[in-house]
Amino acid sequence: MTGWYPIFLREMLLFKRKLFKLGYLFSAMVVPVIYLITFGLGVGRSMPIEGTDYLTFLIPGLVAMSSMTNSYTWVASALNLNRLYFKTFQVLVQAPINPFAIMIGEVLAGMAKGLFASILIITVGLLVAPLFHLSWLLILTLMLNCFLFACLGVIVGMITKSHEDTSTYNNFLIMPMSFFSGTFFPVSRMPEPLQKLIAIFPLTHTNILIRKSALDSQGLLALAILLAYTIAFFFLGSRLIRKYSE
Amino acid sequence: MIEVTGLTRKFGAKAALSGVSFTVGAGEIFAYLGPNGAGKTTTIRILTSLTRRDGGTVRLNSFDIETHPLECKSQFGIVPQHTNLDSDLSVEENLLIHGLLHHMERQEITQRTGELLDYMEMSDRRQSLVKNLSGGLKRRLLIARALMHTPRILFMDEPTVGLDPAIRRSLWGFIKRIKNDGATIFLTTHYIEEAEFLADRVAFLDAGKIVAEDTSANLMAAIGQWAVDYLDDNRLQTAFFNSREKAGDYVLNRANGCTVRRVNLEDAFISMTGRKIS
Repeated sequence: MTGWYPIFLREMLLFKRKLFKLGYLFSAMVVPVIYLITFGLGVGRSMPIEGTDYLTFLIPGLVAMSSMTNSYTWVASALNLNRLYFKTFQVLVQAPINPFAIMIGEVLAGMAKGLFASILIITVGLLVAPLFHLSWLLILTLMLNCFLFACLGVIVGMITKSHEDTSTYNNFLIMPMSFFSGTFFPVSRMPEPLQKLIAIFPLTHTNILIRKSALDSQGLLALAILLAYTIAFFFLGSRLIRKYSE
Repeated sequence: MIEVTGLTRKFGAKAALSGVSFTVGAGEIFAYLGPNGAGKTTTIRILTSLTRRDGGTVRLNSFDIETHPLECKSQFGIVPQHTNLDSDLSVEENLLIHGLLHHMERQEITQRTGELLDYMEMSDRRQSLVKNLSGGLKRRLLIARALMHTPRILFMDEPTVGLDPAIRRSLWGFIKRIKNDGATIFLTTHYIEEAEFLADRVAFLDAGKIVAEDTSANLMAAIGQWAVDYLDDNRLQTAFFNSREKAGDYVLNRANGCTVRRVNLEDAFISMTGRKIS
């Protein structure tokens, strides 16, 4: 199962090239920083929420959202383009490596990119919110969230028929999750029927877990749900790679 | 060695391949000739595990593609029709990733990279980003990448398509050298002269079926040695003859506008299928 390494290395070499372009750093940070300024420093500046100041509540949510979008988008978009336009995905399929290895390589690369973007937001958070601090639970949740959404990225990257299709998934899946899953305000403030729907979203459980200081029963349930999603997405993505045929 | 028996593949209701069978011996160049849509690329995709087959068997150096997929994949290198290199990586990085995908050690990769870049006469471009290479250099790099893990079988899908004649001819030289080094080469092309120059044996593929398979010389000899092209009711027609004298006599009996030339593989293909290759 060492076949994942060249796939991961390839993505990291490509990522390294992009990192040195100013546009990448800017695009990775611009959306969360806009939200931070608008909601954290603007709308919610003097609004306490769940027993703390709004900025301290918001930053873990922005970290979760940023890790989701970066892990997911990088993988879904790259896989879709590599499969349909650049045909570089075919090189992996034709290599003597296990489909699981392809899945692991792609997901670890997506995870690394998600973590990188998250570290940028965490750094900003530590600078602007004195009460925000890093906990082991936040780091664990962050890593799990990156892994989960990188797996989802593989699924979407494998099933979309054109690059334009990926924006459909963004609009109907990623965007609603970003806003309704507890990033900007607690889910409990939503109408009751909507709360049940929102509970389906994995990011909802990431937002619960990432704000915990210790693992209570609610946190354990959120962790179990996230693990279940991760396993399901991982095996579905692996299956799509294994069954790939042009 | 490549052994294919009864290969079938349908896309919807359309049969792309209908019972294709052939064998390519070790160290042989086998050209697979046919017009666009005949099933050449589908065959290569099935043989290289990119497309599922509906029926038939494929064995590469005695490994069955169904029961030993990973062993099969380690037997071949592929030069695809479209350039699928990582354009934002350097020449060296592309070869590194390919070597690692084929379970090569770092030291072995470094040594093989040097050898191949020398072989392809592009050692000076080792650090260049692929996106900065010319079309001909990209093709050479595709061949180098395919040879990286020293495969015993090389699949080349239209390897010279879109290149100018001078670069195409230089690539023919490389392909001959690879064959002389002992590789089995499966080549699809719709360039007649490419197949004539390179191939030990040729198969004609038409509408998903092999209609003829032999050496170029035998396929051409089956219709004659000389061809006379002439216009009949403003349509180009061709007559075939076994000797130049008979072709000359035919020309004398017709009005102006005849051309006498040697028979080529395209003539053989047209006489068997009624269709042109290119």
